[in-house]
Amino acid sequence: MIIHVSEIYLFIDYLIAIAISIIIALGLRLPLLPNKPIRFSFETSALFPTPVIAIGLLAICFSLNIYWIYDGMVLAILLGGFSALFTKYLFDYVFPKPPEVTEDSQEVIQ
Amino acid sequence: MNEILGIAIATVIAWLNFVIIDTYFGLPEYPGVKGANIVGRSIAKHDGDLAGGFFQGNVLCSPDASAGTLLASIGVMLIGLEGGIMAAFFVFIGNRLCADPGYAGTIGALTATIIILLCSFIGLTPEMFIVGMIIAILTIQGIYHPYSSKLLGKIAKLMGRYTELE
Repeated sequence: MIIHVSEIYLFIDYLIAIAISIIIALGLRLPLLPNKPIRFSFETSALFPTPVIAIGLLAICFSLNIYWIYDGMVLAILLGGFSALFTKYLFDYVFPKPPEVTEDSQEVIQ
Repeated sequence: MNEILGIAIATVIAWLNFVIIDTYFGLPEYPGVKGANIVGRSIAKHDGDLAGGFFQGNVLCSPDASAGTLLASIGVMLIGLEGGIMAAFFVFIGNRLCADPGYAGTIGALTATIIILLCSFIGLTPEMFIVGMIIAILTIQGIYHPYSSKLLGKIAKLMGRYTELE
């Protein structure tokens, strides 16, 4: 694979995407952490899944050699913002909460 | 590094990574998906441990840290850091599609990516982690369920994640 941008810039881009996504998610009043005990990942928060979506999309762009301008930093900022907005407004629509599995395996719709 | 020695070290690291993360995020506590409940109770019926059975059922039925570690190894081998992060992202999407409420898969893939990148400095390659992870999952799922479920149950008790279900 031909890497057009130095690896240290890519690493910084990931850190930027993580930081921007968390900051914007907190600005959109998402909680920092999910409710305890932390077992239900369909609950959204600033630390999960917002940064995972941001760096995941950024990694897909980088693997397709899409860096755009400033060695991918602008892309990192935009995807960080997008992932926070997605988590806040679209996550529950795209990934609706699943039925809970109870002890006797009966479904209880939440 | 010698290949056999590297695979042995990678096996131990991969085993610890997926067992610790899966246990920490509560796989032995309850079945995250329906199939895990059936598998867990079947293992318990065959002289196994219920918490260990839930752990094995959860690993079997949806992407958890074991799948995350294996996919991250493959991703890093193919395209480097991007591959590991993409593996974590796709495990996250896979969890949504399986309706699995766990965190272990995504977190396990991310920690595996970091571990593989750090271990590359001492000569461990992603290929060694792929083989190591297959051996690690074989020890849990492929040899003798009653013994492996009891071991997982003991680890769950040590980490305060033993199931309260009966």
